[in-house]
Amino acid sequence: MREPAWRIFAAEYNEANHVIESKGEKKPRYVLTPLGAKVNRLFIIGVLTDVEEIGAEGIRRRARISDPTGIHVVYAEAFEPEVASILADMEVPSFIAVVGKARIYEPEEGMLYVSARAEMAKRSDEESRDYWIMETCRSTLMRINAMKDAMSMNSPTAKQLRELGYPPMVAEGVSEALKVYEDVDMEHYEMMVREAISFITTGKKEVRKGYEEEQEKLLKIIAEMQGEDGAIWDEVIEEATKQGMERSVVEEVMVILLEKGRIYEPQLGKIKMV
Amino acid sequence: MEEIEKAVEEILATVKADKEKVMEDLKKFVDYGVPLEQAKEAVMSKYGEVVKEKKLKDIEAGERNICTIGKIIAIDEREVEVRGERRKIYRGLLGDDTAILPFTAWKDFGLNKGDVIRIENASSSEWEGQPRLSLSEWSGVEKVDYDIELVKRAPQRYNLMDLKPGLSNVEVRGKILSIDEREVNIGGEIRKVFSGTMADETAKIRFTAWKDFGLQKDDVIKIKNAYVRKWRGAPQLIFDENSTVEKIDEKIVMEERVTPLYKIVEAGGGIDVLMEGVILDVRDDSGIIFRCPECNRKLRDGICEEHGEVEGKADLRIRALLDDGTGAVEVIFNREISEKLLGKGMEDYMEVAEEAMDYSIVHEDIIDKIVTKPVRVKGDSLSSDFIVTIFARDAQIIKIDKEKEMEELMMQLEGLQ
Repeated sequence: MREPAWRIFAAEYNEANHVIESKGEKKPRYVLTPLGAKVNRLFIIGVLTDVEEIGAEGIRRRARISDPTGIHVVYAEAFEPEVASILADMEVPSFIAVVGKARIYEPEEGMLYVSARAEMAKRSDEESRDYWIMETCRSTLMRINAMKDAMSMNSPTAKQLRELGYPPMVAEGVSEALKVYEDVDMEHYEMMVREAISFITTGKKEVRKGYEEEQEKLLKIIAEMQGEDGAIWDEVIEEATKQGMERSVVEEVMVILLEKGRIYEPQLGKIKMV
Repeated sequence: MEEIEKAVEEILATVKADKEKVMEDLKKFVDYGVPLEQAKEAVMSKYGEVVKEKKLKDIEAGERNICTIGKIIAIDEREVEVRGERRKIYRGLLGDDTAILPFTAWKDFGLNKGDVIRIENASSSEWEGQPRLSLSEWSGVEKVDYDIELVKRAPQRYNLMDLKPGLSNVEVRGKILSIDEREVNIGGEIRKVFSGTMADETAKIRFTAWKDFGLQKDDVIKIKNAYVRKWRGAPQLIFDENSTVEKIDEKIVMEERVTPLYKIVEAGGGIDVLMEGVILDVRDDSGIIFRCPECNRKLRDGICEEHGEVEGKADLRIRALLDDGTGAVEVIFNREISEKLLGKGMEDYMEVAEEAMDYSIVHEDIIDKIVTKPVRVKGDSLSSDFIVTIFARDAQIIKIDKEKEMEELMMQLEGLQ
């Protein structure tokens, strides 16, 4: 069977920290998200905010794709040179569609980073992106519902969830997720879907920028405030808003810098330049 | 004492022997001070490796060396490719008075529907959550000359959409949309069979009735004890002299509804299904192809495998991967539908390609125009080996009413408990 391509928001996918190793000949691996998506392949449409060359061969690329909830990190590997060159030639920012396999990086026990390895990349457009957001909202809502149904059962099994009409992959994923994730904050995910919906309905934002200027500005602020142990997150945000940046933008730029590896958190709530 | 009785039961579960004798032998060993476990082994080896027949309901997935007796309820042959070699395998249903299980025979044992057989050295694997028997090169199969009773359990009620090949003893209701009568020759005997299509609110399905139930178009019927097998890449409902068919006074209103792709993948295909998904890939052999004017086969380098070198007839077709996040199928669009999806005619593409002296330009334009586009497709499945292949009867790019969709999503969100 061909693995379906999950539509999943970056915020949910990036919070995944469990992997399911399946049995069978091909032993596919799945990223299990807190809402029970069991992802081997995923489909993303968003705004390409950054493409960088990685490795020494001059072929591999790492791209960042922004959706209304966060950023998907996508790799194009040397054995997919066509996909890598499509990424390399794409303008930033622009709409992009990617089909990829779940990529799992586990530098040490208990630390897990998920991203996608692109199998296909293509220029996209606003209409397709909106359709993607809609599909992703639908699929996320279905899993939120399944989680809630499962939480109301004594010992939920995939079989019981199937009987309620959920697709097999969702039924399996949700019953597994409840076992390995503790206290999944459902409100947090409902809010995420709400934000995605309002992203489309309320005043259309232009293609979001890569925030190049803002990145530099924020780095400067952090450099000034970091001292020995790092700058306090809340104070950085306060300072940046004082300098005229919107709070939501500051937060987003912070995430960009974190994901780029320009800054890190030496301890919770503090940030420091690398 | 209790321990000894337990040991006797265990021995009898694996070898065929007389209970009294086993007990006697076992006691003898124990009286001589042989530990029970060793005594058990000694007795077992005395009665040899004769494996006792198991009832079908006691067979679990992952067993080996299974011996059982059952009746062939259904069987059909199909060709599969095993390591590059075409070979025939046989699939069907085997029943006894406790259960009905699907089986696969990897060689021709000369089996026919209705045969009662004794099987030795079969194995079992898991398939769709239930055990499936596997008869291999090394299995022994012999026909026995008596009949056996089949399990009488309450039939399970299904919607037509949920039927998948391998199910048996199903109960369904539906409306006959079409029915044809024909005669077939089975082992020298001419029999009448009735085939057609029927539908309920959820799906349409092809059926075959091996008995004259006096059915007519537009009859609404309830069928008990039917079974499902795969035919031409789609599930097919079969009912026969073991089934009961009753006309019922119910209305069946069929409405167009979108079937999620995982359902089609699970059922191994379907007919007249409506689906929605996003096109995630276009196969390399999409675009302008040349067909043999004699047999319509696709030419390879201007050569037809049947008719040799011929003047090819141009055609436009697309083979695409459709994915809705729950499952994926392959869809074939013919010239007419392809032109509609692309908004461009084949003649125009011919011109462009001839000017560029390169037909791959058409393939590129197809990728550009339809990959990542949401599409609604109606069609029938043709095959379902690795992936279900659908032949499209109609298709269009989905235009979304954003406001309406978002309102609906918002309502769903508000409706969460």
